[in-house]
Amino acid sequence: MLMDFGKMFGRRKQKAPLSPLTMTPFEEILGINMRNALIAKYNPRIAIERARDKVAAKVALEAAGIACTGTVAVIDDHQKLNAFKPTRDMPDSWAIKPARGSQGDGILLAVRREGDVWYKGSGTPLTEQDVMHHIQKVVDGGFSGDTASEDAALIEPLIIADPTLADLVPEGLPDLRVICLHDEPLMAMLRLPTNESDGKANLHQRAIGAGISLETGRIIRALVLGEPITHHPDTGAKLIGYEVPGWDRVLELASKCGPAIGLGYSGSDIVLDKNEGPLIIEVNAHPGIEIQNICQLGLKAQMAAVGEDFR
Amino acid sequence: MFSDLISKIRDIRARATPQVKRPFYIGLAVGLAIAVLVGLGLRNTESFFAMPSELEGIATSQAIWGLKPSNLLMVLPLGAFLVVLARSFVGLKAFGLFTPMLVALAFLQIGPVMGPIVLGSSVLVGMIVAPTLLKLRMTRVGFLGVLISLIVLVLVALQMILDTQLQVDAFPVVVCALVVERWWRQWEKDGPVDAARMAFNTFIISVVIQFVMVSNIALLLIEASPLLMPGATAVAIAILGRYRGLRLTEIGRFAPIWLERRRSSQPDELPEGVLEDRRKTAPDTAPIGEPARKKPKIAASERAPPLDGIWVISSPEDLRPFRRRRVPQTELQRQPDSEAQFEARIGASGKPPIHNAWIIKSEEDV
Repeated sequence: MLMDFGKMFGRRKQKAPLSPLTMTPFEEILGINMRNALIAKYNPRIAIERARDKVAAKVALEAAGIACTGTVAVIDDHQKLNAFKPTRDMPDSWAIKPARGSQGDGILLAVRREGDVWYKGSGTPLTEQDVMHHIQKVVDGGFSGDTASEDAALIEPLIIADPTLADLVPEGLPDLRVICLHDEPLMAMLRLPTNESDGKANLHQRAIGAGISLETGRIIRALVLGEPITHHPDTGAKLIGYEVPGWDRVLELASKCGPAIGLGYSGSDIVLDKNEGPLIIEVNAHPGIEIQNICQLGLKAQMAAVGEDFR
Repeated sequence: MFSDLISKIRDIRARATPQVKRPFYIGLAVGLAIAVLVGLGLRNTESFFAMPSELEGIATSQAIWGLKPSNLLMVLPLGAFLVVLARSFVGLKAFGLFTPMLVALAFLQIGPVMGPIVLGSSVLVGMIVAPTLLKLRMTRVGFLGVLISLIVLVLVALQMILDTQLQVDAFPVVVCALVVERWWRQWEKDGPVDAARMAFNTFIISVVIQFVMVSNIALLLIEASPLLMPGATAVAIAILGRYRGLRLTEIGRFAPIWLERRRSSQPDELPEGVLEDRRKTAPDTAPIGEPARKKPKIAASERAPPLDGIWVISSPEDLRPFRRRRVPQTELQRQPDSEAQFEARIGASGKPPIHNAWIIKSEEDV
């Protein structure tokens, strides 16, 4: 009886699998409803939790032999916080991240050190007290969304971007976003900070989104808030045609990330380090769908091409 | 001016594909239905400016709309239904998941005009005080606690100013505090415009929900049977919740993709006065005298066989899933050779010949 009920609502018709060749333009786009359904289908709860916690994700990625950013310290309780002395334990340049933060909230960066004082990219000095206060706020869950009340602070050495990439932007760290279904990369973009985005690679804050061709690793299209551009507005560097160094390695890393954490549908954030090449900074269990506007491709069509049936 | 607009709309309508038309008509129908319900709710409102103290102890919702306080629970599923509609079909973003529903419930308890005023003022005070509170560097729990106290302070102050008894026992104080927090976070993240838009959305959705909740139809359903409303909305939400298509706001968001594709697929614009593009493929523009060189056609079987492991795609059919086939490789035909058994098998064992052994390969060796 239950089966009949299921037939009534769920599988009424056995439709032919969607083919990317017969899709209408309307069907090619992945909407947020469909994305949520895919996440419910492929991303188990435990894997999402793992991806959300940067520390747990890093452990899983390292175990799978995937190159991640380095770690200076993980501070997850007040005992460790009291034992921590920034002047003794911190390198000259570092990044403090909340393990469960979202969208870049609560990330503090220091680029250089003079005596016991660090300096942010903007030149604001950070005393030892400021740093300790920030870590305390992170540990208290001040940046961890609505649910968590305690969090861990992850301290990493600052990443210096690949010189060819760093020349494109005035300041800040450009990062790559690769969307994968299982181990198939579907779409990729490069997020380039601008002066207006305050060095952050966040598309909402007027950073540039540049669509990258998966086959060649070259930028094919660049947008700022929906406006196509060809050159970076601040540096004047030509963006279209720029080839990401080590593109094959980037794709290889991205395709391993989802399976390593247990995610079927994942968006990997990758940075290109000056010395170590592509490194994973984060794997998203809920990657955004704005990438479709940037690459001017429908994610649903890409998924159908690798055999997804959307059921 | 209007004729311009009408012709534009007609143009859009003529170009729209069935895939666009169908969701549009469905959306129009649902929008109309909600508008009718809101209208009914508005008509059902007897007095807009009644003070709760003038109602002589009768609950506000009953005095104004005839909704018994015990039935307030019944209209909650209706609110949930509208929230689902606004979220997964329209794509309106609001603070929190079911915040608009709870806010609408608070409106029902205070009054159609007084509700928004009370809620607006308490949230506004929270919004003004929030930056100062954030400077105190409290924990999040502490911040929310102070906000709750502040909102209650505003409520009590309003009661004293208006000299009335607001019926605010189920007033979502905590929800208000969370709204203030979300508002401030949104402001920090995406700027004031986005935060204001979200606040406006929350407000509009809750006002719409409020009036749908008190419309004649809803009240009639509740009076008919207490089980009808929760059951019907549960089934409706379960059906609508399976919707996987694009949201209304996403059509606008991803429209650039379709528009730009259409633009790039259209031929270049012709210069003034030229009616027809005769540059390409037109027969009279083909070069004369120079016969097109034809490639000699080779039958597929005569061409070099494809390499091992190559996909052969000769028609669009082959791109369908499960249609791809690897090239069948012809096995190297091994000719049976009955004489082979009599040939010398030197080195066949892999070992070198034993020292001093005769090695006879040909007649000369004998």
